[in-house]
Amino acid sequence: MIEKPKIGVYVCHCGINIASTVDVETVEEYALKLPNVEVARTYSYMCSDPGQALIKEDIKEHGLNRIIVASCSPRMHETTFRKAIQEAGLNPYFLEMANIREQCSWVHQDMEEATAKAKKLVTASVAKVRLLEALESTEVDAEPAALIIGAGIAGIQAALDIADAGFKTYLVEKTPSVGGRMAQLDKTFPTLDCSACILTPKMVDCASHPNIELLTYSEVEEINGFIGNFDVRVRKKARYVDFEKCTGCGDCAKECRVADRFPSEFDEGMGKRSAIYLPFPQAVPAKYTIDPEQCLYLTRGKCGKEPKCQEVCGADAINFEQEDEYVEFKVGAIIVATGFDPFDPSRKPEYGYDDYPNVITGMEMERLVSASGPTGGKVLINNGKEEIEPKEVAFIKCVGSRDESVGNEYCSRVCCMYTAKQAHLIREKLPDANIRIYYMDVRAFGKGYEEFYDRVRRENVRYIRGNPSEIFKRGNKLVVKAEDTLTSTPLEDEVDLVVLGVGLEPRAEMRQVMDLLRLSQSGDRFFLEAHPKLRPVDTATEGVFLAGCCQGPKDIPDTVAQAKGAASSAMIPLARGSVTIDAQVAEVNEATCRGCGFCVEICPYSAIEMVTVNRFGHEIEVAKVNEALCKGCGSCSPACLSDSIQPKSFRDRQILPQIAALGAMK
Amino acid sequence: MDLDKLRETAAEVAGRDDVKYLIGWKKGSYGYRIAPAFVEDVEAAAELIFSPLCTANLATYLTLVEKLPLPRGQEPDDRKVALMVKGCDSRAVAQLLAEKGIHRDEVIVIGCPCPGMVDPDLLAEKYPETEEPAELKWSDDGFVIVRDGEETAVPRDELLAEKCRLCRYPNPVVSDIMLDDPVETWEPAEDEGVTEIEEKEVDGRWAYWQEQFSNCIRCYSCRNVCPLCYCQDCILDRLNPTWVNRSVNFSENTAFNIARAFHLAGRCIECGECERVCPANIPLGKLNRKLAREIRDKYGFEPGLEPEGEPFQASYKPDDPEDFIL
Repeated sequence: MIEKPKIGVYVCHCGINIASTVDVETVEEYALKLPNVEVARTYSYMCSDPGQALIKEDIKEHGLNRIIVASCSPRMHETTFRKAIQEAGLNPYFLEMANIREQCSWVHQDMEEATAKAKKLVTASVAKVRLLEALESTEVDAEPAALIIGAGIAGIQAALDIADAGFKTYLVEKTPSVGGRMAQLDKTFPTLDCSACILTPKMVDCASHPNIELLTYSEVEEINGFIGNFDVRVRKKARYVDFEKCTGCGDCAKECRVADRFPSEFDEGMGKRSAIYLPFPQAVPAKYTIDPEQCLYLTRGKCGKEPKCQEVCGADAINFEQEDEYVEFKVGAIIVATGFDPFDPSRKPEYGYDDYPNVITGMEMERLVSASGPTGGKVLINNGKEEIEPKEVAFIKCVGSRDESVGNEYCSRVCCMYTAKQAHLIREKLPDANIRIYYMDVRAFGKGYEEFYDRVRRENVRYIRGNPSEIFKRGNKLVVKAEDTLTSTPLEDEVDLVVLGVGLEPRAEMRQVMDLLRLSQSGDRFFLEAHPKLRPVDTATEGVFLAGCCQGPKDIPDTVAQAKGAASSAMIPLARGSVTIDAQVAEVNEATCRGCGFCVEICPYSAIEMVTVNRFGHEIEVAKVNEALCKGCGSCSPACLSDSIQPKSFRDRQILPQIAALGAMK
Repeated sequence: MDLDKLRETAAEVAGRDDVKYLIGWKKGSYGYRIAPAFVEDVEAAAELIFSPLCTANLATYLTLVEKLPLPRGQEPDDRKVALMVKGCDSRAVAQLLAEKGIHRDEVIVIGCPCPGMVDPDLLAEKYPETEEPAELKWSDDGFVIVRDGEETAVPRDELLAEKCRLCRYPNPVVSDIMLDDPVETWEPAEDEGVTEIEEKEVDGRWAYWQEQFSNCIRCYSCRNVCPLCYCQDCILDRLNPTWVNRSVNFSENTAFNIARAFHLAGRCIECGECERVCPANIPLGKLNRKLAREIRDKYGFEPGLEPEGEPFQASYKPDDPEDFIL
């Protein structure tokens, strides 16, 4: 039997957010006259405890079976009120929110008109609420394991936290070693502790942790499934070195026939490495890798009489027959920590990065001042003629950040501080050098940052406000052409070394990860979080979280904090052991589905597949919704020409009366 | 086209064990009439023809077949259907394949390269019909009408159907067997009919369609003949919710015609059958070609060309134009 609808309408003041523009009492009185409305009330904050209690009591006392809350956007409080009515014994999906705040009071000024619109919105909700159906959410088991993509500091920290909590953790890294960008840094601002000293213990922990399975030189190929139940396939690229046998002694790299011929990625191309290499001395795992694009034997099939590495390897670890391996496993949550690319200053040709060897990037500067770097920590630079110790050093900030001409409007958030730090390090090594920093603004926002910036300024580092327009060569010097905008003085500054404070950009290959996990980008092209304030590590794909610079530029403290946040969020389904699948999903009418598959193509969550069913003896294909993957977004519905797929609670027969009610009102 | 070869091939195909029947064209009962032929045995292939009168798009029969409930234990008939297609008809087949309306292994496509069809109304108006079934042939520069044993040569431009003047694909885009060498394509005419309406002000366009749709008798012939209107349960027939009321008036007629046009956007392959069968002479071709033009210009998409391509409604690119969204 279909029960007669008994509707309760609750109009919220939202303090003065609604009440100052909408006459809530009039709306209440009006609502009472609408068909099937038994109770109508107003309250200052409906979402508050007493507000919710009001609804619950009415449900019990008046036997209400449908509830309308006229307040804010359902994005804000739908779950709050669903929970409330469920506690009072109603199906949580018997709720309709009339948004009279975002869509009414906040966008109108005239009280009379806003009140009239609020009435319309309530009328429309009354038309719909009676047609809502009871829905039941379901529970699905969650695999107590996590996948972390990228083993920079964000990935390492997240992996350690999850593993420490007792869950199996797969840490996948594309390059041969964990460590990421942080491993390349010399010292870290503002405390100047040595980057390697604080990072390497964590790298080692990753490798030795019983709960962490480290998959370096590996790439995620495929991810299927949904929160709690992701099926992951990872390709372990061939290293051509037996991982078990290699002792990391390094004899092979020394003896390689093309030893020290190729630019080292770790040293930003300033140092050299062999075709068989360890990216850097502290690399974890300390296992060698053969670069298949450079190795003579692998590219030409011949390397002398016998490959040298094979000859000298005491452990007999070299194996040219090795092939890519695939590993498959199941996880309940995924953290994306794929990091950033430094801005390529070739895109600002006026700075002459491609033309002059003494124009370098901040990352190159890190390697230059590092004791483990190509110069052993000596600041030596080729000015095009000879190696010299620079006397005149200029830094330029905001290269590739806050710059519409290269498509990056955002601030990279680390350049102000790393240039200050590098200026300090040069001052330590070259006490007599003249150092100046060309800047647009100085943003020293973090804990201890302003103090550090002050300290650097006191160390006789000159800050000049102006964005250089050009760098060109004059004799043995570089000329930085700029205007000091504080004194309106044009400058032609002769220097020996220019350090470009390049910004951070989204990784060039991020599209791959986006396609794997159905992630979105924000306007700055970094990965988009679910909510900028309240869900900063979540994504639109449930069970997938973000950590570190893949979500936006960040310094190390923020990256670690976010990684810990992501780890804690990822652990929720793992610790709970199950996930709740929302009931408000799309449903297929098999009887009318014509099997065209438009919905399958259009679904942004890959939640629909074609299945074969038997229709009166005929095998036919129809669409089927995976309720665990479906978000109820409704994209499928307009793609369906026969109206055979519709989101529950938003079916045509439910929303058309709602629309009609809006139109029919005078 | 060599009719002997056509009949020979058809007989061969229809005779195959894995073929249910072959659908082609045959002479109708009188005058210029043409009827669809369902050839189930070798003998029946002898009445098949292909002439400038074979305007009808037979692809519509592929999806018209009802899959009736099978008595328990009875196996479904999985034999193939063979279909004769012109260029435009083949695009309907390609589109049906792309949207999985039919499967490739269910159909044998016999391609007839098409030099262009006559406009049947124009023909009957200028050269009145006879009681005896008449014949039409292609000549080098036009058509030859054979009525009561008497031949009349007519220049091509005089009788060529509008859809053929605009045609860009006279040769089948998908086929298993080709009955002839491809015909030489011709420069398609400018679609002045659509341009003329585009150039009108909004009021003028509204007035134009108001007049046209007021004539609609809601016989649904256009929907029924359309090879791409094949939902089991058409939403225009539904009662809950009722998208279109049963009453025949301007408002409901407009709703019907607009809904159909939108459902065909990015799918219509411009075979012109809807307009040909419309008893109220509503220029439905213009409506569908306008949407096809929009989709071609804005998205660079043409339906019915790639049997394995992504259907237009199901494709999305982040840089799709959206300037028309209010």
